[in-house]
Amino acid sequence: MADPNQSAPEGRDPHSGGPALSRRSFLKGAGGVAAAGGALSAQAQAQSAEAATAVQTMRGTVEVTLQINGQARTLRCEPRTTLLSALRDRLEPALTGAKQVCDIGSCGACTVIIDGKPAYSCLTLAVQCRGKEVTTVEGLGSPEAMSDVQEAFCAKDGMMCGFCTPGFVVATHAALDRNPEADLEELKYELSGNICRCGTYPHVFDAARAAQAARHDGGEGK
Amino acid sequence: MSQPRIPAAEPSWGKRADLDVLNRDIPRIDGPDKVTGRAVYTHDVRIPGMLYAALLRHPVPRALVESIDVSAAEALPGVVHVLQVKEAGDELRYSGDDSVLAVVSAETPEAARDGVRAIVVKAENLEPVVDTERAKEADAPLVNYRRRADSNVAGSRARGDEEKVKGAIDASAKSVEVSVEIPTQHHVCLETHGHVIHPKGEGERSVVYASTQMVSQHGGQLVRPLGLENGQGDKVHVLTPHMGGGFGSKFGAGVEGMLCARIARETGRPVHLMLSRADEFAMGGNRSGSKQTLKLAGDADGKFTAIHVVAERHGGQGGGAFAGAPYQYEVPEVYLDAKSVKTAADSNRAMRAPGHPQASFGMETAVDMLAYETGVDPLTIRKRNLAAKMQRRQLDRVAAEIGWDEHPNKLAPGVPENGIGVGIGFGVCRWTPGGRRARCNVTVRPDGSVVSATATQDLGTGARTYVAAIVAEELGLEVGQVTARIGDSDLPPNVASGGSVTTGSSAPAIKDAAHNAREALEALLEDVLGAEVGDYVWKAGRVHAVGDPERSLAWKEVCALLRQPLEVSGQFQQSLYEGRILGAQAAKVEVDTMTGRVKVLKMVAIQDQGLPLNRMALRSQINGGMIQALSYGLLEQRVFDKEDGFLLSDNLQLYKIAGAQEMPEMVSIIDDSEERDSVCGMAEAPIIPGQSAIANAIYNACGVRMTRMPFTPDNVLTAIHGSV
Repeated sequence: MADPNQSAPEGRDPHSGGPALSRRSFLKGAGGVAAAGGALSAQAQAQSAEAATAVQTMRGTVEVTLQINGQARTLRCEPRTTLLSALRDRLEPALTGAKQVCDIGSCGACTVIIDGKPAYSCLTLAVQCRGKEVTTVEGLGSPEAMSDVQEAFCAKDGMMCGFCTPGFVVATHAALDRNPEADLEELKYELSGNICRCGTYPHVFDAARAAQAARHDGGEGK
Repeated sequence: MSQPRIPAAEPSWGKRADLDVLNRDIPRIDGPDKVTGRAVYTHDVRIPGMLYAALLRHPVPRALVESIDVSAAEALPGVVHVLQVKEAGDELRYSGDDSVLAVVSAETPEAARDGVRAIVVKAENLEPVVDTERAKEADAPLVNYRRRADSNVAGSRARGDEEKVKGAIDASAKSVEVSVEIPTQHHVCLETHGHVIHPKGEGERSVVYASTQMVSQHGGQLVRPLGLENGQGDKVHVLTPHMGGGFGSKFGAGVEGMLCARIARETGRPVHLMLSRADEFAMGGNRSGSKQTLKLAGDADGKFTAIHVVAERHGGQGGGAFAGAPYQYEVPEVYLDAKSVKTAADSNRAMRAPGHPQASFGMETAVDMLAYETGVDPLTIRKRNLAAKMQRRQLDRVAAEIGWDEHPNKLAPGVPENGIGVGIGFGVCRWTPGGRRARCNVTVRPDGSVVSATATQDLGTGARTYVAAIVAEELGLEVGQVTARIGDSDLPPNVASGGSVTTGSSAPAIKDAAHNAREALEALLEDVLGAEVGDYVWKAGRVHAVGDPERSLAWKEVCALLRQPLEVSGQFQQSLYEGRILGAQAAKVEVDTMTGRVKVLKMVAIQDQGLPLNRMALRSQINGGMIQALSYGLLEQRVFDKEDGFLLSDNLQLYKIAGAQEMPEMVSIIDDSEERDSVCGMAEAPIIPGQSAIANAIYNACGVRMTRMPFTPDNVLTAIHGSV
C-alpha cells in the first residue's frame, strides 16, 4: 500500500517528523453534528466554543519503530493512531489478524500481547508501544507451524465465522501463560474480555483445556 | 479420451456405517487460516491506493434537512472525496439507511472520520416515533410510508372464528391468559456490513469484496452504481473469501454497497467502506420485536382445546416477523389476529429463524402456565400436545439429561432458600430447511489434485469444509487431498444462505458432481481393473473392483490414466435432500430473588437433522443456537430514546451479548435415532426455544413469571415486586 501521506494535499508537510500544532479543534466538527440534534445543540455548541479555545490538537505524522513479532517495523502514523490501526492500516504489508469490531475495548477481537500482557490494541496508541514487544496472532504461529493453542482451536472447533478467533487465540495464550493451572471457571474469567457471536465458547474452553493438558503432558507449549 | 458412460447408478449418501469421512468430527479446513490471522475477510482487504470511507448519519430518525455544508470536510488533509447523499429540503423519514447524509473518503480511516465530523448540518428534527405505543395513537405522525397508508398499524390479518374460539375457551376446564413483550434484537455480526470495491477500466471487470450471504447473486445490484448497464452483471466479480457472520442480515449490497460502488466509480480508486459498529446497530438489521396476548385453554388432563392470540410485530419500517399460532403444539380451535406496528426505526431483516423465537416465547409461556394451572407437569403437558412421536422422545431425553427426574419442583414452583431458587424449563423447535437449485464442479487432474468448486459462502457454518469432504468421501480420499473453492461469483452458481437452505442445496450438488467424477474415472478403469462402472470400491486412497481387493490402484495411478483434467459438474438432486427437522431443549437456572440475577446453570439441546456431514461443526451450530438464545433471553435489547429518537444501544457496552462468564454447562446432542439417508441444513432450529426454556425455568425456580424479555435483574425484580 502506498504511504497514505504521500498524497496529502498541499500546505501540509506529511513528513514533518514531529507533531505540528493546529488551532483547529476536532470538537468543532462534533459541534456541527450536535447542531442537528435540536435540544442538545445550544449546550453542545457552547461546549465546543469553549473547547475550541482551550484545546489544541496535534496533527501530522511521526515515525514509529515497533518491535512486532520479533521484527523491527517502522511506519509513519499520527500520534492518535491506535496500535490496531497501525497494524491493519499503516504497516505494509498489513497485519490484519487483529480485528476491528467494537473499537472501544469491549470485544477483545483486537487483542495482542504487549510485553507479555494481553492488551486491546484499539485502546493502545501506536506511539505508546515504542520500545515494547508486540506479539500479534500472526506472531504466535502460521498455518504451516501453528502454536499449541492454535492447533487446539482447530482440533476442538473453537471457531465458527472466525472473526473473534484471533483475539481468543491471543487471549488464551496469555491466560495459559499467566495462569497455567487455571480451572474452567478461572479460564472463563480470563477469557471474559472477548466476545463471540456465533457461540463458540464451549469449544473455545475445550481448546484451552486441551492445550493446557498438552502442556502438562509434554512440557512447555510453543 | 473415451466418453464417460451414462451414470450407472443414482448418487446416494450410502450407509452411515460405510462412511469414512462424513458423519465424523472433521476439523475445519480453513481452521489454520482462521486461528493464525491468515484468513482474509472483506474488512482485511488492502489494495494499493485504497480509500477508506466513513458515513455521516443524522442522529435521530425524522428531520427536515435545512443545509449540509461539506466544504470544511473537503478542505481537510487526507480527505479525497465527499459524497453528499441528502440535500437541503430533503425529509429524513426513518432511522438507519435513510439517515445517511454524506460519505467521506480519505487516505486513512482517521482522516475519513475527521471529514465526517467537519460536516455541518442544520436540520429541524421531527417527532421520532420510535415507540410502538406512540405509533398506534391516532394523532401520531404517519411513519407508514406505503402508498395510500393512513395508519401506522398495517397488515392486520385475523384467522379463525373468534366467537367459536372464545366459546371453546369458556367451555374448557382450564385456561390461562398472558401478555408478553419482546424487544428488538440485533444480529451483531462481528464483521460489520460492507465492501471493498476495486473499479476497473474499460474491458476489465470491477472486483467487489463483499461480506455477503449471497455471493452468486450479489453483483447484480452493483451494476448501476458502478456505471454499468443492466445485464452487465458479468462485469462485476464478487469475492467473499471469508465472512465474519451474517445470521440473515447480509442479503444484498445495501445502501452502503451502492454508495461504495458509486464512490469507487467517481474516484476511480479502490474504496473500503465497512460500517462502523454504531452504523451497524443503526442500519445493519435487527430481529423484530413483538407483543402478544395469548389465551390458551385445555381439558382437565392438559390436552389443549383452544387458543386465542393477538400479536403485534414490531419491525420498524419492515413488516416484522411472527411465526403464527399455535406455535408447534396441536390446538383444535385457533383464533389469531396478527398485525404490524410501524415506527420510524430501520426495517427488521431476516434473522436466524425469523419470527420463530418470538412465537416460541409466547406459546411456550402459555403452555407452561397451563401446565401449573392444570396440575400436569410442564414436561407431560408438552408431550401430550405434540404430534410427533420423535419430539416426545426428544423431550424425555433432554429431561433426563438436565436432571428433571430428581428435580423437586414438578407441579409447583420452588420456594427460594435464602432468596435463591433453582428451576428447570423446556421448549421445543422445528424447522423446514429448504433445498434448491445449486451447482458444483469437480476437477480431477492427472497429477492427482482435486478441486471442488461452488459459489457458496461460509458464514461460519463449516460449508467450505464439506465442499471438500463430500468429494473426499466419494473418491476414498482424505479431506486434505481435496481443495474447496467457494466465495467467488465466477464459480458454479449456488443459493443465497437463508432459511438453512445452504447445506440442503449445496451438499446434493457436490455429491452429484463427486458421483459423476467417480463414474467417469471408473469408465477409465474398465480396461485396467476389469469391472464395470459402479463395481468399484474407493477407500483409503486406493480403488479396486468389488470382490477383487488384490488388484488395486493408488489414487495417483488412477489420475495418471487421465490425459487431461477431468471436469464434471453436478446439480441439486431432490433424492439427496430432506427437510423438516425437530428438536427439544431444556434449561436449568439459578435465580437470586434478592438481586434479580439469573444464572443459567445448564442447557441441553437435542437436534435431529439429516445425515450429519461434520459432527463437530454440527455441535458447534447447536451450541451457537443455544448461546444466541441465552443471550437473547438474558441480555439483548435495542433501546431508543423515546423523546428525541437517539439510538442509545449502539455499541457493545450498551448492547450486551453473552460472554464467557455467562456460559452454562452445555450439552449438544445430535439425534441419530432416525437414520435418514439424506442431508439438510439445521442452523435455524436450535436458536428457537432457548429463551423460552430459560423463562420457564425461572418460574419453576421461584414462581416468578417472566413475560418481558430480556430477563435482566431490573426486569426480574420488576416481575417480583412490580414497577417502582
